[in-house]
Amino acid sequence: MGETVKLFVNSQEVEVAAGKNLIDALAVAGIQIPHFCYHPALGADGNCRMCLVEIEEGRPPVVPACKTPAMEGMKVVLDSAMIKKVQQDMLEFELINHPVDCPVCDQAGECDLQDYYMAYSLEESRMDVPQVNKKKKLDFGCGVVHDQERCVLCGRCVRFTRQITETGELGIVNRTDAARVDIFPGKPLDNRYALNIVDLCPVGAMTSSDFRFKQRAWFLTRDKGVCHGCAKGCNMYIDHHREKYGDDIIYRYRARTNLQVNGYFICDEGRMSYHLQNNDRQTETIVGGASVSFDDGIKAVVEKLNQAKKPLMIVSPNSTVGQMWAVLRIATLYGGDVSGYSDGYIIEGSGDDYLIHEDKSANRRGLELLAIKQDRAHLLETLGNADLVLNFDNDFHFSAHDIEVAKLLSEKDYVAICSHRLTAFETASVVIPIASYSEYDGVIINHDDVIQRFSRAVHKNNPPKDIVEITRLLGGAITDWKRAWPGIRQTISLLREVEPDQIPEEGMKLMNSGEPDVTA
Amino acid sequence: MGAKIKVVERKGKTFFEQLYLIEIFKGMAVTVGHFFRNLRDNSNLYVRHYPEVKPEITPRWRGRHRLTLHEDGSIKCVACFMCQTNCPSECIMIEAGEREDGVSEKMPVKFEIDLLECIYCGYCVEACPMDAIRMDSGVFSVTSSNRENMMIGIAELIEPPGAFNEDEYQKGVG
Repeated sequence: MGETVKLFVNSQEVEVAAGKNLIDALAVAGIQIPHFCYHPALGADGNCRMCLVEIEEGRPPVVPACKTPAMEGMKVVLDSAMIKKVQQDMLEFELINHPVDCPVCDQAGECDLQDYYMAYSLEESRMDVPQVNKKKKLDFGCGVVHDQERCVLCGRCVRFTRQITETGELGIVNRTDAARVDIFPGKPLDNRYALNIVDLCPVGAMTSSDFRFKQRAWFLTRDKGVCHGCAKGCNMYIDHHREKYGDDIIYRYRARTNLQVNGYFICDEGRMSYHLQNNDRQTETIVGGASVSFDDGIKAVVEKLNQAKKPLMIVSPNSTVGQMWAVLRIATLYGGDVSGYSDGYIIEGSGDDYLIHEDKSANRRGLELLAIKQDRAHLLETLGNADLVLNFDNDFHFSAHDIEVAKLLSEKDYVAICSHRLTAFETASVVIPIASYSEYDGVIINHDDVIQRFSRAVHKNNPPKDIVEITRLLGGAITDWKRAWPGIRQTISLLREVEPDQIPEEGMKLMNSGEPDVTA
Repeated sequence: MGAKIKVVERKGKTFFEQLYLIEIFKGMAVTVGHFFRNLRDNSNLYVRHYPEVKPEITPRWRGRHRLTLHEDGSIKCVACFMCQTNCPSECIMIEAGEREDGVSEKMPVKFEIDLLECIYCGYCVEACPMDAIRMDSGVFSVTSSNRENMMIGIAELIEPPGAFNEDEYQKGVG
């Protein structure tokens, strides 16, 4: 906390950061002020009037907290009869035409209107005139479904399309109780961040067609994760759940605030990438076309490694630093080469200047820092010399089919150690299933040199093993990436001061980044 | 302590009682007497002729669940998952889907109750905001020769009608 100010809330002294509005400043101190329209990313709009607070001896005495900066000596009153009446009346006003269809609303359980009603109102409806009917289940495009009846007209969605994406597809049309959020005729939402509107909407007016009716919000376990969809490494929540008699699956990703990396939002592509964690997973161990037990598969690979004169290990640019290190170590053990060839992960022109990076791999900086060669010439050369290829989950066909590499590979003894069933692994004689990023923990470094740590979120019924564990079964000495950290730290000078347990939640910017500086 | 004390007369101390066999025969006489009486006419039996005669159950009896229907025959359930959330034995498994008939937006595409796990507590009925699930089917004996049949779906759940008239049921619920 930088500069602080002291103020009084309900005549108790609180010390908060200076320069913030009352909502944000007091939230840090654990004092919640109800609000609909204010969002730190979108600024104060002051239209919902839900955050009105009383300032003792203030002029005017009642002000919206979102537009009032925290000031020294301010006397904020949140529990006076007047403020309670204001909050109750505002909620009654919002609920006049609200359909109260919580049983069929996906927002139920994480709805501000529901929570505030329970906390500040609990009043019966006094309305004896029919409610105003508006349109429901409108397809706004990009997977956003709008329900005009549930809307509280806070305008967060409208401001998002105007301020953040600057596409301005949404607007509020008409006035009074005919007012509603709408798109322009025939012009649906068309931007790569549209689904953030679903996160932003404080009520159930904006829901996602992908998540629609899939699961109730209160069943979901919300774990913190880091998106592996591109080199940005956006922070998100992994919402997953194990149905009775079922397996632990992911239902959705939501944006997680990290001002150092992604701010408040994530892109739609990343948000939808959770499907890849559930689907097309490699679960069988295959040796020579037949399904075998995992142990037999490992035995077959060890045998091959012992006979091989020159094995080649291909690592994935999505692997964690620890996994890359573990592969490097067993490559040394078996006298093999290591390649991190992954040009296919870079899709030129697919990025933008906001969150989407054209490199679709999560930890290419890790490859660079560990001095793992990524060029195609090196791969073709080592592939020519190799008599055994171990591919650790590197999908080199990611954006286009690399015919030459595929042809060379098909002539070799090819072992795929992979999390997904992909074309790149089809020609393998041995296939070993492994965990994907939601099922292991580790550290990755994004393209801005921010090192981020993430933990395991999903626990499958038959948990697949992580690459570090696979290398240990293949004869490697590393049992745990954290124990191997001293070795990694010595190799990468940039990480010399980094202790995995001390990496803060929002990641850590690595300093003096530059040329790969490798000593081992 | 002002508890009432009742002194029970001890029997079996007399000589004839201690002989034991005489008492056995006296007891057998009672049993055989009942046997011949019931053989002649069993209408005065002290037990119910189950399963020919079913017990009378009250509207508050919690029998096997049923899903109720609107008057037009559409299912009342809107798949809000309140029953599943409230279920202490986690025996209700719902899958929700889009509803196209205009009644609501949402309906269950799968609604399964594992009757082997159900403890018939009635919390699902209490939780339901739509009065869509009730335990008034009057089915009190749920049996099967295999586990699979004890998992019932929508088809079985909407099949039985309510066993009581609406007023009686509401009185019981009230």
